[in-house]
Amino acid sequence: MTITASRPVAAAGAVRAARRRRWRTTWPLAALLALLSVLTVSPFVAMFVVALSPAGRPTVPTRWPESLTLDNITRVLASSGFATWTLNSVIYAGVSVVIILLTASMAGYAFAKKRFPGREAMFWTFLATMMVPFQATLIPTFVLVNSLNGVDTFWGLIVPTLANSQAVFLMRQFILGLPDELFDAAKVDGASEWRVYWTIVVPLTRPILATLGVFVFLWHWNDFLWPLVVGQSDATRTLTVGLTTLRTEELQLSVLMSSAAVSVVPCLLVFFLLQRYLVNSIAMTGLK
Amino acid sequence: MRHRLRDPVTGLLFVLPVLVLFLIFRIFPSLGAAGMSLTNWNIGGEWDFIGADNYARLLDDVNFWLSLRVTLVYAAVYVPLTLLVALGTALLLHQVVFMRGLFRGMLFLPYVTSFVLAGIIWRWIYEFDGLINGLLAKADLGPVAFLEQSAVVLPALAVVSVWKGFGYSMLILLAGLKSIPSSYLEAATVDGAGAWQRFRRITLPLLKPTIFFVLVIETISAFQTFDTIYVMTGGGPARATYTLIYGIYDHGFRSFDFGYAATWGMVLFAIVLVVSLVQRRFLDRGNT
Repeated sequence: MTITASRPVAAAGAVRAARRRRWRTTWPLAALLALLSVLTVSPFVAMFVVALSPAGRPTVPTRWPESLTLDNITRVLASSGFATWTLNSVIYAGVSVVIILLTASMAGYAFAKKRFPGREAMFWTFLATMMVPFQATLIPTFVLVNSLNGVDTFWGLIVPTLANSQAVFLMRQFILGLPDELFDAAKVDGASEWRVYWTIVVPLTRPILATLGVFVFLWHWNDFLWPLVVGQSDATRTLTVGLTTLRTEELQLSVLMSSAAVSVVPCLLVFFLLQRYLVNSIAMTGLK
Repeated sequence: MRHRLRDPVTGLLFVLPVLVLFLIFRIFPSLGAAGMSLTNWNIGGEWDFIGADNYARLLDDVNFWLSLRVTLVYAAVYVPLTLLVALGTALLLHQVVFMRGLFRGMLFLPYVTSFVLAGIIWRWIYEFDGLINGLLAKADLGPVAFLEQSAVVLPALAVVSVWKGFGYSMLILLAGLKSIPSSYLEAATVDGAGAWQRFRRITLPLLKPTIFFVLVIETISAFQTFDTIYVMTGGGPARATYTLIYGIYDHGFRSFDFGYAATWGMVLFAIVLVVSLVQRRFLDRGNT
């Protein structure tokens, strides 16, 4: 009894000693890592401090503000331009997430599990378009949307960004790994194709749909060049574009930083709630 | 048998939404870009076929060559710097156990935000009465005109993009480090290899494919940098940050010279294509 009890204790002691030895060699590395981490987040911290400083009063970096206030934030939230831009960004990102998840998972299912003429050629053409940077086709895409009267409309903003080859590729790769028997069994039971998709494909791909949804949200929420050229008035201007129309010459720095701070809140929410998810999916899929 | 007959149709139906989106908004504009570069397309939608005139104009355009130089210099600063920071932080995260999750999160945080936000924060950080010059003033140094001097502005912009983007490459490299069997490193330690030797002879060679992937991805993103330039410098001072993408935007949406802007886009496409093909060649060689 005493022997069996003392063994784990001795083992725990050895582990602790090993950990202490390890700590002795790695603490300078840990200190360096801590320093780099603090440096990396410091621009955000500075942004929030300025955003919370009373407007027009001395603040970082001259001195630490005497008091903090939410005045700037409430002022920003109450301004009509900012509210409209935020709503537009929500629409741009939200609608895109729903439609891309739906269309990409449907196409991914067909590319992975269906046989139809031209399947391979089509799939490789989709992949090849990844090599064409969007910026190289910016002009013709704009001319096309303009000729369809889509400039400064929501459909003109959203629809051209829905052709997302990364999403289709990811869904196809994931569904390829699901066993065929699942789909065959459902079909033998007489389920329609749409039912198979809706009751088998969608539930089974939920984890990858969630990951993809987060990425599509971030891509669209942070997107700039396309919303810049196509959203020409406040009616369709997104938050990123709206922020660039605020100039420091006319605006106090604390108000500008408040606008920036509010715009980043959804990204921070996604980050704090889903960090582990994001980190793992980048490591596994290389989604960027 | 019935299923097999039904398959071609249902497969096509499931792909149809994505197919239509791709044909109209990816493939048509990709071909359109090549076509438009052979015309003098303008804002009114009028155009004449002018053959290779735009390309001849491009070769004679001092600003084009300047812009190509700016783009290459920017990439030459950005790519090694981002690899260095990403590899350094990945190695530290791999070594240090202490609060690893927290540090990884802090280092990754800028990645989920937008380049526009990064531009707004860092424009203030670099300003005469901004964060860095404010801190320098406390030490009776400076001020440094980060965004007003041609020699300093490109590295200054590269730092912003590195800060915003290195978290992605860090995670990719970290995953690569984790995939190296620890037995290799332990065996080397037993054989008396020091930390540097282990890194140089084992970690680095085994990490080479991952490093190569990161280099390609980051080179492509270097050529696509637009948002920070738009927010922070507007291509200046004296065209010192007038990159290829900025040229596309400037000719397209300031001069409305769509045909010529599309020609600039073709150059961007050619560069990205070459980088992607080099990547594929290397990957193919790695597999055989």
